[in-house]
Amino acid sequence: MNHLSEEQIVLHYYGDAEEASEIERHLAACPECRAEFARVQSMLKQIEPMEIPEPSAAFEEKIWLNLRDRLPVKGGIFRGLFGPQQKWIFAGVMTLLLAGAFLAGRFWPRPVQPIGQQPAQVNPQRVVLVAVSDHLERSQMLLVEIMNADAKGPINLSSEQAEARDLLDNNHLYRLSAQQAGDPQVARLLEQLGRVLAEIANGPSEVSPGDLQQVRHTIQSEGLLFKVRVVGSEVNSRVRRPESLSGGSVNQRL
Amino acid sequence: MEVTDAAVVAQVLSGDRDAFRVLVERHSRSIFRVIYRMTGNQQDTEEIVQETFLRAYKSLERFELRANFGTWLYRIAVNRTLDFLNARKTQMTKDTYQIVDNPDAELSNQVQLSDAAPGPDRLLLSAEMKRRIAGALGLLTPAERVAFTMRHMEGRSIEEISQTLKLKASAAKNTVFRAVQKLRQQLEPYASSGPQGAPRGGMGGL
Repeated sequence: MNHLSEEQIVLHYYGDAEEASEIERHLAACPECRAEFARVQSMLKQIEPMEIPEPSAAFEEKIWLNLRDRLPVKGGIFRGLFGPQQKWIFAGVMTLLLAGAFLAGRFWPRPVQPIGQQPAQVNPQRVVLVAVSDHLERSQMLLVEIMNADAKGPINLSSEQAEARDLLDNNHLYRLSAQQAGDPQVARLLEQLGRVLAEIANGPSEVSPGDLQQVRHTIQSEGLLFKVRVVGSEVNSRVRRPESLSGGSVNQRL
Repeated sequence: MEVTDAAVVAQVLSGDRDAFRVLVERHSRSIFRVIYRMTGNQQDTEEIVQETFLRAYKSLERFELRANFGTWLYRIAVNRTLDFLNARKTQMTKDTYQIVDNPDAELSNQVQLSDAAPGPDRLLLSAEMKRRIAGALGLLTPAERVAFTMRHMEGRSIEEISQTLKLKASAAKNTVFRAVQKLRQQLEPYASSGPQGAPRGGMGGL
């Protein structure tokens, strides 16, 4: 009698074998295949579903805030522009606009720049560094305001929330830039910062002293303010150093 | 009464972009769990959740309003994850070696062992086996890993796997089988329980 193949045994374990009743009969009659089936069963039973961490309370909000500006508006007046016939009209209008822009640029009088004041070549990495430095500075100010807010009675955090929302919009982009530039330390800090910014941005605008204490606790327990200061100061010093143009991560320097 | 997903989709398609937020709020946690099972990494998972919703938004015109939005989104999420794992294949190979070196690596927490009475020896064995399982999973191809996760950890049917991954049912079965075969090759030599005996060779069909 032929034995069951390994594939038959594995598929039978999951209930996916086509000839299930034949396999059952064979297993009942063949101790060797039964032992093989038990080995597969034993190995697979050891692999249990993993524990999945629960995302933060502000997870949905964070996803939405990161997503919102990347979503083009659908339908409305633009929908008609991309119909099968209108797209040619649209293309014609765009061509005219481009030609107009070109001619305007060509004949528009330009201010003459004195020699020696020609703009230096812009290094994109430096632009990102400057932006991150500014972002960390603003974040630090926000965190300091939260930490020092007067915690008596209901506290109005609407201006801090507006600032947190504004910072959160760019935080994701800077984190991606830091990752791509090989700066895991900055990327990790921005990840932590993003969570706290989302918590501030998505909370109620008027909070109780207890709620405020909770936010402060999050900031303190992660040592966030300290990290923002240290990394912010490091990034800032790199911005000022001419050699920073050639790169090097904060990670390497910390 | 709660507005249905289909009604929200129709609202978004008529130009109300912010209505999409309702779908994000309703589905992002379940999508997070699906993706995390396949990546085992929280940061990567969050990135893929965003990419999933972005892709869903861009393809919203193709969603049939009578279909289930959650199922449609699940398929996008799995395929986004598969793309991500394919793109990171080389990196994942490196990670696999890191897991063996580093017992605390995040991937080593991806699977849990049955552990009824965890005495010190048992815990040591479990930790060792856990590392081996994480390493063995790391050796699967992205498609094997995704198909195995869907079948073994989520209990999805072969039909669902084949529809999601756009495979024939026979190919889906074969992908799950290859995954199990590779896991056996890696793990059985170290298995501490189950029937003893040398693996049988040269098995024929019925």
